[in-house]
Amino acid sequence: MSNLWRNQKVRNLFLQGLFVAAVLLIVIGGWMNAQQTMQSQRMISGFGFLHKSTGWDVNFSLLPASANDPYWWFFVIGIVNTLFLGVLGLMLATFIGGLVGLARTSSNAMLQLLGRTYVDFFRNIPLILQVFFWYAFVTRLPSVRNAIEIGPMTLSSRGVYIPALNVGGWYLFAAALALVAAVVLPLWTRTTRRIDKPREERRGMVLAALFGSLALVLALLWLGRLPETPLIDVPQLQGLNMRGGLRVSPEFSALLIAIGIYGGAYIGEIVRGGFKAVGRGQTEAAHSLGLSPWQTFSRISLPLALRAMLPILANQYIWLIKATTMGIAIGFTDFFMIVAVTINQSGQTIEAIAILMAGFLAINLTIAAIFNRINKAIALKGNQLRS
Amino acid sequence: MTSTDQLPTPAVSIQGMQKFYGSFHALKNIDLTVEKGEKLVICGPSGSGKSTMIRCINRLEEHDGGRITVLGTELNDDVGNIDGIRREVGMVFQHFNLFPHMTVLENCVLAPMLVRKIPRAQAEAAAMRYLEKVRIPEQARKYPGQLSGGQQQRVAIARSLCMEPEILLFDEPTSALDPEMIAEVLDVMVSLASDGMTMICVTHEMGFARRVADRVIFMDAGEIVEMADPETFFGDPKNERTKKFLSQILGH
Repeated sequence: MSNLWRNQKVRNLFLQGLFVAAVLLIVIGGWMNAQQTMQSQRMISGFGFLHKSTGWDVNFSLLPASANDPYWWFFVIGIVNTLFLGVLGLMLATFIGGLVGLARTSSNAMLQLLGRTYVDFFRNIPLILQVFFWYAFVTRLPSVRNAIEIGPMTLSSRGVYIPALNVGGWYLFAAALALVAAVVLPLWTRTTRRIDKPREERRGMVLAALFGSLALVLALLWLGRLPETPLIDVPQLQGLNMRGGLRVSPEFSALLIAIGIYGGAYIGEIVRGGFKAVGRGQTEAAHSLGLSPWQTFSRISLPLALRAMLPILANQYIWLIKATTMGIAIGFTDFFMIVAVTINQSGQTIEAIAILMAGFLAINLTIAAIFNRINKAIALKGNQLRS
Repeated sequence: MTSTDQLPTPAVSIQGMQKFYGSFHALKNIDLTVEKGEKLVICGPSGSGKSTMIRCINRLEEHDGGRITVLGTELNDDVGNIDGIRREVGMVFQHFNLFPHMTVLENCVLAPMLVRKIPRAQAEAAAMRYLEKVRIPEQARKYPGQLSGGQQQRVAIARSLCMEPEILLFDEPTSALDPEMIAEVLDVMVSLASDGMTMICVTHEMGFARRVADRVIFMDAGEIVEMADPETFFGDPKNERTKKFLSQILGH
């Protein structure tokens, strides 16, 4: 018996068993406790409430919404809102971060100082404060009648009005997907190893992918256009209000700006780190071969820096997606706010929080999976690298 | 490039070159002329300025005084001159510095295609020829990280050769290699020398210097202390510092 206990494998197995038992005990205990408490308070558990209508409305939705809609539809609206804000926020943050990171790694002292000041400033102010600041800013824009016009855009305290497309909902959605394909497909065609053709000779295929997708976008928009209206709906002042176009609510604008600027500071540092991680030897080799500064950047530094950035970038993206929950502070109906109101209105706390967790898990695990896939595809081969 | 029938343009001509790192005087008044086809070996203790000197020849380091002329073109702030010289001067580094995200073949064809605008098929054919010359054509589709150090260094040599340079600079090409891999790299360098390539090598491989070099230079504290043909250099060094250095590295 003492011999058996001294066996490493037996010990590990025993400890594993103990651990699993403890976890099960806690979960089952918690479950039973919740059941008992809810019963004593005469609460009904379960997901039946999902089919009841909410009786309240949302102030921002990409999908049709009314107070008669059921809870499950509102959750869908919340997730779509969160994704919409999240994806645009990530794009803006990445764009700003790229500029800031490049400024900080440039050889120009002025740009370095600007980049550094940006990072020091925006990274050190809490996000919620920045959200409030931008919300105050966009709600204090001039009234609709004195609105600022920038090209086809109109900035006012009631929101930003931008030209919209008079296209039916599903067609618009499909066109948006096709637009994403127009970005992803050419890139994939250009870089994948699955096409057995040297990269220079793929130009035709890349252009076909690009223009094919773009043609699909136009075709979908044309097919889905609403009858007897112009395809592009430009907002215009009529009386005391704006007519036509799409109103971007101040809540959405404020969050988008805040996430873009705050995230940009962090991503700027990631970009800087990525470029610092590229060995000086590689750029020296490129110079010694006669490559121009741009060729060295685009063929050597950038591809290597991207590989160093991606894992940290995935982390940052997941973080920023969760930052959309700041919406509740200024009344943007993101997923979190809809869950919070649901808890308030229906009392289904445990169920609603379970849905909230599942939703964010699904979003963030998807981001992680996409990035892992990309990482794996572009990972450097071999383990004999030096310098 | 200017050349006359009487005086062939030297490959590299350095006159009164100075190099400072802050207040540290790294290279003091360097005068050196390397003829076309000449093989020059530079040795000396670490920190003596050997690497800095050859890195000035293709502007990986900027010299602070004096004149450097490469193949008749003066190396100055003129970007066109720098690009032109870099096209004609290849460099092999201590740590190989291959591009890890490209295959061996892509490493080799990148510069010929981008800089010399050679079509891919032609560049690949040339690359395969040079990979055969360094005896690793079978590794063309692999990535640098999948090769041994000696193989990587031979790829680096092939990559430089693909630009068909007039001059090759070697910056301690065998210092990062295991002993059995040093030989395979030196063999390639010897065969290059016999093809008539102009070579300037910073190395501590004294056997290679004896066998291949036309002249050997000893540097110490940023100065060229001794310069002689290998026989005189190893058999009858004049300078005390050279003697001490040689006794240290040949002593055991």
